[in-house]
Amino acid sequence: MDGVAPTPGTSPVVVATGLVKSFGPIRAVDGIDLALAAGRIYGLLGPNGSGKTTLIRLLIGLTRASGGEARILGTPMPSRTALGRIGYMPQSESIYPELSVGENLAFFATLQGAQSADALDRVLDLVELAERRNTPATHLSGGMRRRLSLACTLVHEPPVLFLDEPTVGVDPALRVQFWAHFRRLAAAGTTILVASHVMDEADRCDELLFVRSGKVIAQGTGASLRAQAGTTDLESAFLRFSGLDDEGRPIDGAKGPT
Amino acid sequence: MSGTRTLAVARRILAGLRRDHRALGLVLVAPIVITLLLAWVIRGSEVASINVGLYAPNGQADQVHVGFLRAAAAEVPGGVDVTIEAATANDLDELRTWVGEGRVDVGVGLPGVQFGGAPTVTVITAGTDPATESGALAALQALVSRALGAATGVGPNTNIPTFRHETVFLSADADSLDILAPVFLGYFAYFFVFILTGISFLRERVGGTLERLLATPVTRAEIVVGYGIGFSVLATVQVILLTAFVLGRIAVPEIGPIGEWGIGLGVASAGSPLIVLALVLLLAIGAVNLGIFLSTFARSEFQIIQFIPIVIIPQGLLAGIFWPIDRLPEILAAIARVLPLTYAVDGLRGVILRGEDLAASTIQLDLAVLTAVAAVFVVLASVTIKREVA
Repeated sequence: MDGVAPTPGTSPVVVATGLVKSFGPIRAVDGIDLALAAGRIYGLLGPNGSGKTTLIRLLIGLTRASGGEARILGTPMPSRTALGRIGYMPQSESIYPELSVGENLAFFATLQGAQSADALDRVLDLVELAERRNTPATHLSGGMRRRLSLACTLVHEPPVLFLDEPTVGVDPALRVQFWAHFRRLAAAGTTILVASHVMDEADRCDELLFVRSGKVIAQGTGASLRAQAGTTDLESAFLRFSGLDDEGRPIDGAKGPT
Repeated sequence: MSGTRTLAVARRILAGLRRDHRALGLVLVAPIVITLLLAWVIRGSEVASINVGLYAPNGQADQVHVGFLRAAAAEVPGGVDVTIEAATANDLDELRTWVGEGRVDVGVGLPGVQFGGAPTVTVITAGTDPATESGALAALQALVSRALGAATGVGPNTNIPTFRHETVFLSADADSLDILAPVFLGYFAYFFVFILTGISFLRERVGGTLERLLATPVTRAEIVVGYGIGFSVLATVQVILLTAFVLGRIAVPEIGPIGEWGIGLGVASAGSPLIVLALVLLLAIGAVNLGIFLSTFARSEFQIIQFIPIVIIPQGLLAGIFWPIDRLPEILAAIARVLPLTYAVDGLRGVILRGEDLAASTIQLDLAVLTAVAAVFVVLASVTIKREVA
């Protein structure tokens, strides 16, 4: 569990080498190297605006990198072939409000080349929307729309998942079920990268990446990061790695462990 | 390009529209209502009455003049109902006051008795409604010449020629609706399809579904063509409905107190409805992709609406719907010649009014230009999706 590097003998599923994205003078992603192994859940943690979403968009190839390279399953991105094996849940709902639950799901399944009725039923059961199949998405609650969004991401059973804040607006009971499902998918070999600014979900991940100002400032298991920072919770650990005390003030002369 | 994915995009457009009753109403019902309104205005106002006030110097404007004018008015074929104000004015100023107060529509000052020289008839109008007044003047002119002819003993049947109006296309009593309604087919397809696609695609961009779409193997071409197919189906239904309404007429017989009436405008058409459909569809495909293209430059639905004065209204004014291109000032005519709607309007009039077919070089040009414009907009639309993704 503690290994930072991918399991020896298996090539990493998601690889980033010196990935840079500049918007004018701002470097939203500032030279990130990554190697994510199969069957593990990675937590991408950082405050709003730290570059989490831009990093995911770079990895998928939705935006062109200013420098560096991303590969998924050995294919340099962007690649349409690789996109068929990726599940991406954007931060916004990204579903069609005027379409029913079933129509939304069937549409994205068709684009992904997965049209089996079984797959649709399975994923609808998972997000507990089977009874809402014919309800227009606009009539769903915020949490239900989030669940539908996740269902659209999972429907083609991709081996690589990028989830941008997947549990925002989801009630605690269902959140537990989501994570149990992520765990089952990982056990079956799926690589999952979950972006979040909520630290309390971080301990459910196998490995964490702390991102700040477009850089990965620390990487490891939750336990190892806490130990390195000498703190009892991840939030404090994050602040330490950022060179800040628990009140968010810069620590004079102190430098976070590397 | 995958047919399955392209059709999935098209089906998703139609599935969304099926539930969006307002949008459907906008595309399918609004054009018919507007055309009906236009028909009502044009055909309803052509049978108008004009009140004429008379003045003649030396108190000559007596019952004799009135009698001649009334007799002449009764002879005017088809149309304007002329009421002669029996009480005559004492001078031209009084006539002016009457016109100013709206007591009469037109004041006529007759010439006094004179020897030699051409007599002058003074005609006074309010000057606030040139279109109506010019119609009234024309009617009046015919009237006065008949009346004068009759009064001087040279009857209309002898020396003063009468005019018989013949037309090559349509009939001589065709009204402006016959000329306008056919091209409204194109204008509505262009206008409403542009608005709908613009907003629809804007929602894709803003709502994040485009982001999700682009994280699937779907290609930009599949998205653009899928959109084109989806909205073309809608445009086709719109054009079929509106064409049937404009060209057809179903008579409803008299039932009890309700007199005989009809559904449809019954505009005479000479050409093939299939070419009409082809012209309008090509225009609509252009509009779909123009909508996608311009949605890049909008951040909200309101900003799409802001494109109407830039994209829609100038085309409505310049494309030859109301004024022929040849009569526009040179610069405007040059602009008109690069607008796609111009070619659709020309083509629609050619087919519907003049009965032109694919053998006519103008129709070939119109179809070619519309195809080229649609192709350019398809490319532009694809490029803007690319720009979003980089």
